Amino acid sequence: MNSMIQQLMFNGIIAGSIYALIAIGFTVIYRTVKFFHFAHGVVYTAAAYFAYTLIISLNINFILSFFLSIILATILGISIDRSVYYPLRKRNASNLIFLLASFGIFIFLQNLIQLLYGAQILTIRTGPVKEGNHFLGAVITDIQIIILVVSIILMILAWLFIKKTKLGKAMRAVSDDPTAANVVGINPEKTILVSFAIGSALAGAAGILISFETNIEPTMGFTAVLKGIIASIVGGIGNIPGAVLGGFFLGLAENLGIWKISAGWKDSIAFLILIIFLLIRPWGFLGKKTEKDAF
Amino acid sequence: MEYLLHILVIAGIYIILTLSLNLIVGYTGLPALGHAAFSCIGAYTSSLLALNMGLSPWIGLLIGACVAAISGIVIGYPAVRLKGDYLALATFGLGVIIYSIAKNWVSLTRGPMGLPGIPGFSIFGFELSETWTYLLLVMIFVAITIFVMRRIVDSPFGSVLRSIREDEVAAETLGKNTVKHKLLVFVIGAFFAGIAGSLYAHYITFIDPSSFTVMESITILLMVIFGGMGTVSGSVVGAVILVVFPELLRFLGMPSSIAAPMRQMIYGLLLVMLMIKRPQGIMGRYQFK
Repeated sequence: MNSMIQQLMFNGIIAGSIYALIAIGFTVIYRTVKFFHFAHGVVYTAAAYFAYTLIISLNINFILSFFLSIILATILGISIDRSVYYPLRKRNASNLIFLLASFGIFIFLQNLIQLLYGAQILTIRTGPVKEGNHFLGAVITDIQIIILVVSIILMILAWLFIKKTKLGKAMRAVSDDPTAANVVGINPEKTILVSFAIGSALAGAAGILISFETNIEPTMGFTAVLKGIIASIVGGIGNIPGAVLGGFFLGLAENLGIWKISAGWKDSIAFLILIIFLLIRPWGFLGKKTEKDAF
Repeated sequence: MEYLLHILVIAGIYIILTLSLNLIVGYTGLPALGHAAFSCIGAYTSSLLALNMGLSPWIGLLIGACVAAISGIVIGYPAVRLKGDYLALATFGLGVIIYSIAKNWVSLTRGPMGLPGIPGFSIFGFELSETWTYLLLVMIFVAITIFVMRRIVDSPFGSVLRSIREDEVAAETLGKNTVKHKLLVFVIGAFFAGIAGSLYAHYITFIDPSSFTVMESITILLMVIFGGMGTVSGSVVGAVILVVFPELLRFLGMPSSIAAPMRQMIYGLLLVMLMIKRPQGIMGRYQFK
């Protein structure tokens, strides 16, 4: 009974770290463009399939494949921005039009992946499944420890980049006041490019990490991006520590929520949380109550 | 020929779905992304009533539509309080929740195994088992839906809907209860989507949750946008083209493992192209603000 809770909490933390990575990536992009980049989820899926192709089909080692796949995911993210969002920006399209276009990209690419690799699940795991380590009454696999450590490192790196570097400061400036940022000579297009690069790299990292742990399938990005978006809203949209907090909160809530009921209800729990937040506290845990016209 | 009739039946059901969503999205300007949830509720209600209680599909269809309409209040209630992409996200989430219920409430819906053996419609003991007879039935429902939608949008009520779409604050200033109007639009839209779901269930005789995913909702929305938001004829054209056109892939001899993702890829690409080149659709006057 007791170890059950510990196991669920631990599963929640692992799921939460993946959600947090997706949510940070989503938030980094949201801050500069201010629309819901739903196709973020298909970048996550694509990264897992890049890793699969490199490791299984081309026999390249894990570490190198990890970095190559992240680079490919970054290129994909930037290409989406340049080919679809850029013309929409030129036309000053509304947020909703961006969101629908983003759905379109998502559907197109997800089905392209399905066409190329088939709808069935694939596994990257090579070698036998090792027995997990026992830790505080929970069973933890080596890969889960790697997921946790790598995601925390990536979160810190993303945070340092935005806080400390010149590009990061430019991103914050564009996020706070695009017009003023433009006046002081910050190129908004360049900033958007950088945020898509970083955001997509983080989504890619999340997709590759999860592919080491579980099976991959073409539809995996759908729930993943939704969880990332929910985590961002729960944490406070556009707020990076909020995205981390929201990610872990969501992971824990989902996993502890299924203690007494079947695991199939996880998605419902996540959306229930979203709807409760949208109605009661739409600015999330750490957000500011300023976006009055959005609610 | 039989196959062509089948495609037309499906197109007819999509016309009803598209028209009912157009009332919410195109005429009132509410970006609802969970329309398949309403047809899911209609389909399951009338199928379960027929299978478990032996109720006639005619009564099931009516009850299914009414249950869907009531769920329109439940889903509409949180949704109408939000705006723009937040409304889209909330209806999207509610769509996922309804789908999850259909999938996980196994003791009622049999979950992913679905409900087989749903009885078809019959009139005075004459069973509508031939596809052409069913096509006739669907066409009657399409005609009723078109008639009702035209009456709604040409009425003073319809003018209020358009005023909410164009400028909600102004509509409120003129003393219109916009929340009540928006909720009512959800109820009417859900009612007709429930009818469409029920028609589908009794035609195919099998339903499972995979027919009512959020992707399905986005497909219906694509039909609305493609045909043109805020036009009745646009919805008819949009639904027919987007149902019939991908079927050509099958005539080219593609196996369904290729044709199914190809069809979705066409939808995805079309959605992107529309947003970039023509967000108001082929016959529309309105685009999302």
